[in-house]
Amino acid sequence: MRISFRLPDLSLLIGGSVAGLILLCALFAPWLAPYHPNDQELLYILAPPVWSADGSAEHLLGTDSLGRDTLSRLIYGARTAMTVAAAASFGAMILGAFFAHLAGYFGGWVDWIISRTVEVWLSFPPVVLSMLLIIGLGVGTDKVILAIVLVDWTRFCRVLRSEVQVVRGQDYVAFARLIGFSHARVIVKEILPATLPMLITLLSLQMGISVVVEAILSFVGMGVPSDVPAWGQMIADARIDMYDAPWGLALPIFAIFVTVLSFNLFGDGLRRTLDPRHTANRGA
Amino acid sequence: MTERNILHIRDLDISLGTGDKILNGVDLAIAPGKILGVIGESGAGKSMIGSAIADTLPVGLAISRGSIEFDGLTLTDMTAKTRRDLLGRDIGFIPQEPMTALNPTLTIGQQVGRHLARIGIGSARKREQRAIELFTEVGLNRPGELLKNYTHQLSGGMLQRVLIAMAFASNPRLVIADEPTTALDVTVQLKVIDLIAKMREAHNTSVLFITHDLQLAAEVCDDVAVLYAGQIVERGEARSIINEPRHPYSRCLNLATPNLAGPKTRLMILPKAMPSPLERTAMAGCKFTPRCPIAGDLCIGTPPPLSEISAGHRSACHWPERTETITPPPLKADDENTVLGADLVMKATGLGKAYRQHDWLGRVRRVEALRGLDFEVREREFVGIVGESGSGKSTLTKLIVGLEDITAGVLDVVGMDRATTPRERFFDRVQLVFQDPQSALNPRRRIGSLVTQSLECRGSGLSASARKQLAKDLLAKVMLPPDMIDRFPDQLSGGQKQRVNIARALCSNPRLLIADEIVSGLDVSVQAQILELLRELRKQASFSLLLISHDLAVVRHICDRTLVMYRGEIVEQGPVEDIFTNPQHAYTKKLVAAARGNSGLYADATEQEAENEAF
Repeated sequence: MRISFRLPDLSLLIGGSVAGLILLCALFAPWLAPYHPNDQELLYILAPPVWSADGSAEHLLGTDSLGRDTLSRLIYGARTAMTVAAAASFGAMILGAFFAHLAGYFGGWVDWIISRTVEVWLSFPPVVLSMLLIIGLGVGTDKVILAIVLVDWTRFCRVLRSEVQVVRGQDYVAFARLIGFSHARVIVKEILPATLPMLITLLSLQMGISVVVEAILSFVGMGVPSDVPAWGQMIADARIDMYDAPWGLALPIFAIFVTVLSFNLFGDGLRRTLDPRHTANRGA
Repeated sequence: MTERNILHIRDLDISLGTGDKILNGVDLAIAPGKILGVIGESGAGKSMIGSAIADTLPVGLAISRGSIEFDGLTLTDMTAKTRRDLLGRDIGFIPQEPMTALNPTLTIGQQVGRHLARIGIGSARKREQRAIELFTEVGLNRPGELLKNYTHQLSGGMLQRVLIAMAFASNPRLVIADEPTTALDVTVQLKVIDLIAKMREAHNTSVLFITHDLQLAAEVCDDVAVLYAGQIVERGEARSIINEPRHPYSRCLNLATPNLAGPKTRLMILPKAMPSPLERTAMAGCKFTPRCPIAGDLCIGTPPPLSEISAGHRSACHWPERTETITPPPLKADDENTVLGADLVMKATGLGKAYRQHDWLGRVRRVEALRGLDFEVREREFVGIVGESGSGKSTLTKLIVGLEDITAGVLDVVGMDRATTPRERFFDRVQLVFQDPQSALNPRRRIGSLVTQSLECRGSGLSASARKQLAKDLLAKVMLPPDMIDRFPDQLSGGQKQRVNIARALCSNPRLLIADEIVSGLDVSVQAQILELLRELRKQASFSLLLISHDLAVVRHICDRTLVMYRGEIVEQGPVEDIFTNPQHAYTKKLVAAARGNSGLYADATEQEAENEAF
């Protein structure tokens, strides 16, 4: 047996640690943030960050047009982003994986109906579809999550379905049927373990996408309620003063950028690490 | 002396980045117009020789010593460009799998045309003419029409002819054929071999013939080199090496191959496996020592040189004269007289299967895959089913195990009607051993869990430790060490996986075991192990076996009776010896003749007829 010396994947390491950091920020927001995100100090409107000439240490990243502390809002915004990203991605994964396994495993008319539904679903522009859903559902964090789940489950369904089909063609699946495993048992015991790596990878990529969608919805005022701090909302608020206070715009954009990048790197790293072709030589 | 050789490989080493050698000091030479066979099992490094000549070594491997000379030019010193120009024009290739070697999106004409343009035929009309000439030469009918066809419209044998035509198009001085017949049916194999031999004569081309099949090499080659663990262990004239080998490995390979004629013997079983490149580096002496039946102390410490033992015959063994003393284990007294039970395990009457195919307009067409099968299998009887691809062998298995529905006739399995009895009643009694253990063993389960998998869904009432003990017992039955239960399938060799596969099917004590081509992907020595294992199991366990195989010798070796299938029908059935010594049906005659390597028994006309029906 050949011994392989494999370094831990670099993008997995970087992406994972940055994403983990953001997650910690979200979890411990009340303890980390120096101010309450909605506290207004009208004396300090549009204060610049600490490293510019007029900056003060009181507001490290400055304030917005209502005198709210940008750093605190960013940290609390991470909380919103992470809640939406995690819940929406899990929801989309469960819904998508469920239908993908049904379609890929049973084939025939089950597959036909599910695949056609997915195709019709995918032909709507995703952001427009989620806005339409929000109009119907109303504003709120839970509504944003629901909208993303309903839009993005198709992404999971399509990719996983073909993966399930490949595994279904393996003889060990036929064998499990021959010794009397029920369909549900075959799917859970024999097929799911094989599609799980793909599922986890897709989940991590979906988290990045969910962050962007949540930001877009908040930006157009159709996301979370206005009293909940969100990065998209911060961009929208800072837009009016973008020439006087560019930092107000740049910081939340940077936060979104870093978050999405870390999730994408993490997902890429996961894909490489979990790929069965790379794990062929695992130790006993 | 060396000027005469078309290809001269001198002292070639191919190594991994770590310095472990895949090929070690290989010396080969082919004279003009000769066929040199390179024989070896998987892992011996035989394909690496072809890759080294074509400059297509896998990433991570490199030539670390020695040279390859082609017609006086040193290939290994050339620039990549001059070397590429030589390939395809002066050196032709015949690949292993004709189906994957051609592009399915282009017509045959386009692909052959490209190749002809590359070797310097300028105008399109000349290219077409030349293609038609070549196709006629390799015995393809209606060459003009063929040029407009796509690959999926041709059979494997026809595609291989196209590829042979392409390989010989430029009158190359050397053709490398890497297992050119492995992917083809038995009856087609021989024709392809004949064709290569014929083309060789017509073009005075040398051929490097890489194969794992001893019989095939004996028929087609002038000289043969036997490769073991990256080294040539024996080299010389083909007939003498196959019939009177002077190296224990060649002798063992010979004894491990089941044969169609002569008395039935037990097969030679080589213990352990071929050492990996890593292990080879650590071995000081002869690499075959751990498996050699006649090894002595000298073999462990000193590598034997490849020395000449008679004119033109070289063997790398300290005691080549002792080779003849190696004999297969004698037949045991109880080997031949297994008592068949009186009960029928399976009985088919007028069994048939038809598929309904829809085309894009929704028109329905009935395709009959099986027609009117009548046969029975008695208790403890081993029955072989032979036939080429498309004969309906696999469809029959699917019917028996219940993966497909029966459309005509009655199939009685273990005393119950397959069509009307609920599926659950068959689960413990009928088991299938799949062809490809790689695909049949879930890579995410441990061996212990795989072996006892069939207990999982029904309340077996066994505790975890009892299940573990059962797994160990089952592994012992197939001669695997008990500590294997904690391993994953990836950590096992091909032969070991196939044994786990068999052990798993035996878990529920089935009355009928169906084995679908279970030895076809395995090396000769591993095949021998599995076949002897089946014979051994037969004595202890009380199950009937339905063995599906394309290899007549394998069927003869372990079966009592055989069914010959051809185009969905059973054309002949009876005791193995009767069928193979005195075949009645024309197809059986052809099959037996092909397996015996006797091509003169059937006319060329029938062959063309059969192949052209692929349209």
